[in-house]
Amino acid sequence: MAGVAFVVNGTRREVQASGDTPLLYVLRNDLELSGPQFGCGLSQCGACSVLVDGKEARACVLPVNRVAGKDVTTLEGLPGLWAKQRGGPADGESSLHPVQQAWIDEQVPQCGFCQNGMMIKAAELLADTPSPSIAQIKQAFMAGPSPHLCRCGSYSAIVEAVQRASTIMARRK
Amino acid sequence: MATRTERHETVSTVFGATLTRRQFVRGGGALLVCLGGLNRLGPVGSMLGSTVEAAAGDSNSLNPGLASSWFEIHADNTILMRTGKVDFGQTTAHTAYRQIVAEELRVSYESITSVVMGDTDRTPDGGFSAGFLEYGGQNLRKAAAYTYQALLDLAAATLGVEKSALTVQNGIVSGGGKRASYGDLVKNQQLKLTIPVSGELTNMFGLTVTGDPPLRPTKEYTVIGKSFPNAVTPSKVSAKEVWVTDVRLPGMLHGRVVHPKTLGSTLVSVGTLNKTRFPNAQVIVKGNLVGVVSPSEWEAVGAAQQMAADTKWTDWKGLPGHEKLYTWLREQADWKTTPPSKSDKSRGDVKPALASASKTLTASYEVPFMKHAPIGPTIAVGDARADGIVYVHTHNQNPQALRGQLAMMLGTSVDNVVIRIYAGPGHYGRSNGGNAGAEDEAVLLSKSVGKPVRVQWSRADDLQWSTQSPPGVADISVGWDANGTITAYQADHYMPAMQDDRLVGALIAGLPTQPAPAPNVEGPIGSTINGVSDPWIYERVPNVAETGFGTFQLGQQASPLAVGLRDHSMRTPGQLQQNFPRELAMSEAAARAGFDAIEFRLKQTDDARLIGVLEAVREASGWQTRVSPSPKASATGTASVSGQGVSAMLRSGTYWACVCQVSVVPSTGKITVDKYTIAVDPGIVVNPLQLKRTIEGGALMGLSHALYEEMAFDESGVISRDWRSYPILTMADVPEVKVVILSHPEVGAYGGGSEAANALAISAVAAAFFDATGKIARRLPLKPSHVQGILKA
Repeated sequence: MAGVAFVVNGTRREVQASGDTPLLYVLRNDLELSGPQFGCGLSQCGACSVLVDGKEARACVLPVNRVAGKDVTTLEGLPGLWAKQRGGPADGESSLHPVQQAWIDEQVPQCGFCQNGMMIKAAELLADTPSPSIAQIKQAFMAGPSPHLCRCGSYSAIVEAVQRASTIMARRK
Repeated sequence: MATRTERHETVSTVFGATLTRRQFVRGGGALLVCLGGLNRLGPVGSMLGSTVEAAAGDSNSLNPGLASSWFEIHADNTILMRTGKVDFGQTTAHTAYRQIVAEELRVSYESITSVVMGDTDRTPDGGFSAGFLEYGGQNLRKAAAYTYQALLDLAAATLGVEKSALTVQNGIVSGGGKRASYGDLVKNQQLKLTIPVSGELTNMFGLTVTGDPPLRPTKEYTVIGKSFPNAVTPSKVSAKEVWVTDVRLPGMLHGRVVHPKTLGSTLVSVGTLNKTRFPNAQVIVKGNLVGVVSPSEWEAVGAAQQMAADTKWTDWKGLPGHEKLYTWLREQADWKTTPPSKSDKSRGDVKPALASASKTLTASYEVPFMKHAPIGPTIAVGDARADGIVYVHTHNQNPQALRGQLAMMLGTSVDNVVIRIYAGPGHYGRSNGGNAGAEDEAVLLSKSVGKPVRVQWSRADDLQWSTQSPPGVADISVGWDANGTITAYQADHYMPAMQDDRLVGALIAGLPTQPAPAPNVEGPIGSTINGVSDPWIYERVPNVAETGFGTFQLGQQASPLAVGLRDHSMRTPGQLQQNFPRELAMSEAAARAGFDAIEFRLKQTDDARLIGVLEAVREASGWQTRVSPSPKASATGTASVSGQGVSAMLRSGTYWACVCQVSVVPSTGKITVDKYTIAVDPGIVVNPLQLKRTIEGGALMGLSHALYEEMAFDESGVISRDWRSYPILTMADVPEVKVVILSHPEVGAYGGGSEAANALAISAVAAAFFDATGKIARRLPLKPSHVQGILKA
């Protein structure tokens, strides 16, 4: 059991955990961040997704020692990430990342259990591709270790919400 | 007529309910003041790491006969409502139910400030979380209607104005030049309204509000029909929701269960835990149940893996395997012990009508086992306390039934079991009879160690040890005359039992459970009887014979654990297995009769609502009116061919029609759904926006059923163990989805909206595949490996 230090949602944290512990357990049990969810433990669904140095990663299979010194963003950290991307303080208009706001505006979640990963993926996509086409949106959710899975079938709502988030971001930049 | 029973109490009757009034409460007060310790309850839950407070041990379910158990109307004009139905995200309890209650009470939607849902000690009615609008909505509607009448009586007495002269708007009663808010009326009063109910709290169906209080005329509706947003969405998207996965209790351990090697294996020897690697873990054995607990979740996972590798089990082979499933169902299954059931629409004399028909179609159809497959595996925190009270924190569609089952397992009174409900991954019917999987195991492990235990299943556990949607086989015969009018329809539906609510942990541990599905199990749902659950909608057909044949679950009787393949209802249960054969057969018959598939259906009905949805879906989808297969149909080649298919259904008082347009590459057998259009007539539309999103989700789940889903199993158990071996629909497969909502308030009832869309996708896609290729695929799923053989035949 050794200390592992990394930045979570803008704050440096150090946890005592064996290095092979999946990041997901550290985030949920040690750091009390409930955004990422356990879906499969196999990197096959995306419910556990976080951003590591801005790139989507599956926390359920990522050993915590692999993020030592890196910058981890969870769902809780999306508003802060958006503020940083805009180069200013937190958004006065909303305490949510535009992706989160769009998820509300478009009424995306059914059960909502997978939506953590969907929003993380959307935030990653929009940071690189501010105005994605529908094909690019679909491609993003198919990329990575596995497609991002939704049992409730909220996929078309997700596509609409990513487009709306793109519009919100363009307006607020 | 009010009667004075003592100095300060009056009693009156309100359409069969009883209103008692005492004028001694000072400071605050409420209509329908809650009794029974509600004020002593802690918060429903809390975020990770902090404490979830529980109710005092004496708290039981509320008295459903008291309106106070359903609503609290406070002196500040806010209202709290309670429902035992558990909303899985379609937001019916949080949104549609609020609209229904606000409408009957004549208050604004916003004045209902709290919704208490599911907890067994905080909600009155119980019953499954299905048919939300058809059943649960009706309970709340009636409870609110009684309450409204009581409020009017109260206002009449308080204001000194005849009841008939009173009107109510936004919770303000006016009449005779006087006015009072509901809050004014209840101030300093303690009122008790007793309403009539029937049923049993902890059975499948829960309690029903009876009697006929006057309901608000639908033409006066102001709240129902509006698109209020889902009240829970903001907390879910901002990581503020308390999910079942977030529950942490003081001293809680993480538990994992090492399930037996097969669905019929018993213990030979328990492995030895490696205490060097897992110093804080502890093994618990109860019967054939092997569990591991540890303060560290990661240690519990590792210890369970080590124990799984080192524990020895007997072998068992008692299942046919998925490749032989349909042959086994045809040739081996016992369809004789369970009495067949006839549909109530069966009529006339089918045999001679088929014999004299101008043309006929006779074909068989096959639906596989499918998994509920929630994105997160089942999870529960069990807290068996020293005083004998057991708390279970879980995500469940029938908490009161779970409470009864746990009490049976533990040999204790239901009064000693409390279920608390949280948001969780939607599992679409799996727990509507009381359990999702982990609850009883969490309780058993907690009881053993005397601490709260959180049990989370692995992905493999969730696919291999949960229940599943049963398979179906159907033989359909259709006969029609020279004009294309159907003269006879015969359907024989075969399906194993669909509702096994036994606790799997209790079975493995050898503890008491309710009986396994059998012909003599009471009630239509827990038995092996296969009811006809796809209502016949082609009313003009004179001769109809629909029969359901039921049987035992596969391997369940032979399994030494009494487990085998346990089945459970899943979204559009039973009806999915029956609607696919009927609607694909209708499309096939239309083609053989030389008619367009929508025209053919329209010829068989005078039902305006069915005609309405068929015409609406034809219009909205861009349907080409012609005979199938398409003039450009091809079963060979690498060029994509296109097709269209239609399906229709009546479910939960709602009429549905669906069109799918597909592309097929014959050389690969790959089917792509390009567009899914659905028309829905639920009668009263409560919330158009939420209905639309729910239907879209159902539509895509249905495409997943149609194109991908089939549970794989061998002779010993389920071999689907992850998302690769049980694939579901992905973003790449998503077509254009179009939902057309038809509002018919004059129907006077709220039809359901959450089911049907998934089942309808299947037959529409299959009919579209036929239209595109000229070949008929009658076995699901329509994946390339299945349809390639059909294309080459």
